[in-house]
Amino acid sequence: MSQALVAGLAAEQAAIYAYAPIGVRLTGAERAEARAAEAAHRARRDTLVLRLEQLRVTPSAAPPAYVLPYPVTDRAAALKLAGEIEDGVAATWRAALRDTEGGDRGTALAALTDAAVRATRWRRLAGVTPLTVPFPGRLG
Amino acid sequence: MDERVTRRWVLAAGAGAGLALGGCGLFDDDPAPPPPPDPLLPLRDAALALAGTYDRAVAAQPALQARLAPIAAAHRAHAAELDRILDPPAPAPSASAAASAAPDAVGAPTVAELRAAERQAHKDAAAACRAAPADRAALVGSVAAARACHAEALR
Repeated sequence: MSQALVAGLAAEQAAIYAYAPIGVRLTGAERAEARAAEAAHRARRDTLVLRLEQLRVTPSAAPPAYVLPYPVTDRAAALKLAGEIEDGVAATWRAALRDTEGGDRGTALAALTDAAVRATRWRRLAGVTPLTVPFPGRLG
Repeated sequence: MDERVTRRWVLAAGAGAGLALGGCGLFDDDPAPPPPPDPLLPLRDAALALAGTYDRAVAAQPALQARLAPIAAAHRAHAAELDRILDPPAPAPSASAAASAAPDAVGAPTVAELRAAERQAHKDAAAACRAAPADRAALVGSVAAARACHAEALR
């Protein structure tokens, strides 16, 4: 169970990292959206850190840097990466549902849902249709 | 004498009991009471009902087709995936829940009403996910997340 939460924590940390280069390529409402998404991931991370302390699990520290899949050189790349980051977070949390129960299951479901909803928003901003996928978090 | 009579009574009673048990045996060939429906059956039925609701909305406002058809298709995909795991297998959906060949535009919902329906449906699926056994949690979780995304897409 705690391994599922550790995996979720790692996904949240990676998302926090990615939103920095994403945010600088966006302006106005889109930049605000990125800021809000980053804040949501930070809040989730903090909740998870507390929960893992409660479970006496010490996750490995977040790496100092992540390799982004491609350089975020413009708005289009930023919107694309933001959607992909959220899809990745959703996939991690979907996988965690099987290995969690009770309040931790609820945490995983909320994290999956929030990430999937943000991915929907990023697709709308990027002009991608359809806005939704049939099974958020399911790979392939 | 009294004792013999008593024994005879006992034997008679035993024979009667045997008969009675045999009588019960006559019903062995009857079908066992049906097993309780799968707890995810309401989720499957709601997915089909929602799909039909979208069909009616598109029938009333064809301009919404591009926006709503993928969501209707997602609900049908959810129903199909749930059908694969329901135990016992789901009965055929009721006529009102089944997709009709020519959806009736009468009583078609507005986009705002669809959105409200998705929000409620999300809550139902989220509750089902929290209660689901491990091997069903991911599928039901995806259904719950998808419904939240539909509500977002209808903003």
